Amino acid sequence: MPRCTIDGREIEVPAGTSVIQAAAKLGIEVPHFCYHPDLPVDGNCRMCLVEIEKMPKLQIACNTTVSDGMVVRTTSPKAVEAHRTTLEFLLINHPIDCPVCDQAGECYLQDNYMVHGLHQSKVELEEKVRKRKVVDLGPIVLDAERCVLCSRCIRFENTVTGTGSFEFRNRGDHTEIATFENRPIVHNYAGNLADICPVGALLSHDFRFKMRVWFLESTDSVCRGCSTGCNVRMDHRDGELQRFVPRRNVEVNQSWICDLGRMLYKDVALRTRVSRARRRGASGAWEPAGVEETLDDAAERLREAGGASALVASPRGTNEDLFAFGSLADALGARLDFRVGDPQQKLQVREDNVLLRADRNPNTQGCLDQGLGRTGVAAILADCRAGAVRALLLQGTELLHLPEARDALAAVPFIAVMATHEVPELDLAHAVLPAAEWAEVDGTFTNYRRRVQRVRPAVPPPGEARPGWQLAAGLLRRLGTPFTATSARELFLEVARTVPGYAGLDYKVVGSTGRALETEGPAPPVVAAGA
Amino acid sequence: MAARVVTVDRNTHPGVGPILLGMWITLKNLLATLFLGQASTIQYPEEKRKTSGRYRGIHVLTARQDGTPKCVACYMCATACPAECIYIESGERPEITIEKYPTRFEIDLLRCVYCGFCVDACPEEAIIMSRENDLVGRSREEMIIDRDRLMARGKLAEHGPGYRPEEHDVRRPVRIAALERLEAEHGIVPGMPGRPGR
Repeated sequence: MPRCTIDGREIEVPAGTSVIQAAAKLGIEVPHFCYHPDLPVDGNCRMCLVEIEKMPKLQIACNTTVSDGMVVRTTSPKAVEAHRTTLEFLLINHPIDCPVCDQAGECYLQDNYMVHGLHQSKVELEEKVRKRKVVDLGPIVLDAERCVLCSRCIRFENTVTGTGSFEFRNRGDHTEIATFENRPIVHNYAGNLADICPVGALLSHDFRFKMRVWFLESTDSVCRGCSTGCNVRMDHRDGELQRFVPRRNVEVNQSWICDLGRMLYKDVALRTRVSRARRRGASGAWEPAGVEETLDDAAERLREAGGASALVASPRGTNEDLFAFGSLADALGARLDFRVGDPQQKLQVREDNVLLRADRNPNTQGCLDQGLGRTGVAAILADCRAGAVRALLLQGTELLHLPEARDALAAVPFIAVMATHEVPELDLAHAVLPAAEWAEVDGTFTNYRRRVQRVRPAVPPPGEARPGWQLAAGLLRRLGTPFTATSARELFLEVARTVPGYAGLDYKVVGSTGRALETEGPAPPVVAAGA
Repeated sequence: MAARVVTVDRNTHPGVGPILLGMWITLKNLLATLFLGQASTIQYPEEKRKTSGRYRGIHVLTARQDGTPKCVACYMCATACPAECIYIESGERPEITIEKYPTRFEIDLLRCVYCGFCVDACPEEAIIMSRENDLVGRSREEMIIDRDRLMARGKLAEHGPGYRPEEHDVRRPVRIAALERLEAEHGIVPGMPGRPGR
């Protein structure tokens, strides 16, 4: 392993590490535009020039491999002068329209100018080379004037999605980024282009003019869109989600998320959210009720039904929700299973080979790990048809959407649903409990590779909506077997104690980037051959 | 440390001396006002105090040559505002050189502390202050002044413009609807004190 000295500090790095990565390990940020940790090195912006002893000229830190005994200076007078002049060169034709640019606040040009530039421009605004502005590329808005020609978007399109939409055209200071014939970006990863663009050349159409980024607060969480469990940062303001941006996790999603996941923030704030509980009155018509009264009702019906009750958990629930649900099933001796996904959703977009998976549920693996596949949904539905189910508790509305489940559900005298959104099928139920969405709760998801990852509450749930585990805990209390855990954090300790393979986990161990479990998983109940 | 009882000797029986002294001061001011005309108050609203040319009164939104708002909705004023009284929503302008403009621009004048930071923060001289300071309304909603009212500002003619540190920057001329009316109808060209009018 080569050892090198950067700004007087020694570090030993694996062979093949570039100077910019070694400096980053020491907490030294070399200014850059085109370098991106998850894209191939291009070295075209020339911003990361550093002085290396025994080398006659300055070298770019992103494309210079650390060798043994190397002595690097990032703040020597020569390097500082190089940073300033490179930045001045990049800014020659920049329109300086920061007041109307959505990138302002998270712009590499602004950040680098404040640290390394602070020069007076030698070019008058009127003399600058004008290029195309406000070019609509579907999910992306292109402004060629702001571009620093770093080619991050070109490399992203070539290596990550393989679509190759972008290319440089023209020459010299008239070079600009463009798609062929201004064709829009049609793939499912377009939003990442706005994220990786270090300046305001590629911006998100969805976020355009919505908010200045310095007003946003951020919460680290995980996407709910599929079983990959991409790490995201939820940006919100005043209790309202504004956007999702990917959070770098090399072992899950690198620096990307798909557009389907990115747009999920819109679901959380929909007007169709269930914010109040309701139940059927004596006449069978809906009447509004408090959550506690509705829980009283549901607990009464479940206790009456006892073993003749059935529970269907949702693979969209957190591990904590599922654990509470499993405990409830144990307390009742009820039938229990979970449904894998909504078959309709699988048809909308197939899985791809980048991130998106066909299983559109974030926690199917968590359901399997906790052994929630006990009875089989088909068996539960068959029991319903036979009249053997007197009370049915559903987490999520997925089962209500199934056409083949209609007649079975009609035969059940009491159906309670923990719902997040209003759907017409909720009319099949007899009690509706408002449930919080994943962006509103503390908890964990287990992705398809058995990586336990943490979700955090970014915004408050609407009205009286509560996390699923709290609703289940309310039922358990009424049935006389209350939890000792009073928070998701404590409940997860219970999960770690009882679920095979989760031993030793808590929220601190899971951290912000998750913890991978052994991939084999718990030994499935194997029936010995010949037994 | 144990608590210590402190006895304070307050003069609780001062006698009539201080009372008489206070009444004498009141009487002196009454007589001076009645007979000598030395009032320290003014006959508001008929009479108004003179305000400085840099007075920070109710805000004005300036306009471009075509009459549309000069503001590009950069939110600098809302960011600088210590009272968080500025609410902006932005929209798309057809001119690609401008791109952005405020579809809503509201100032809650009851929250505003009239510090003038919004004027200092503005990169376009799109918001300036007037010398208007008589703020009346029947409800709190009425005191939230919207974009069109901020641009029209009917009473500006009476008071004249106030704090406007960028006025000398002739490269970026702005139009103020109310001041143009003032010049056209009354022939008055208000300017900053010590500086020639526009």
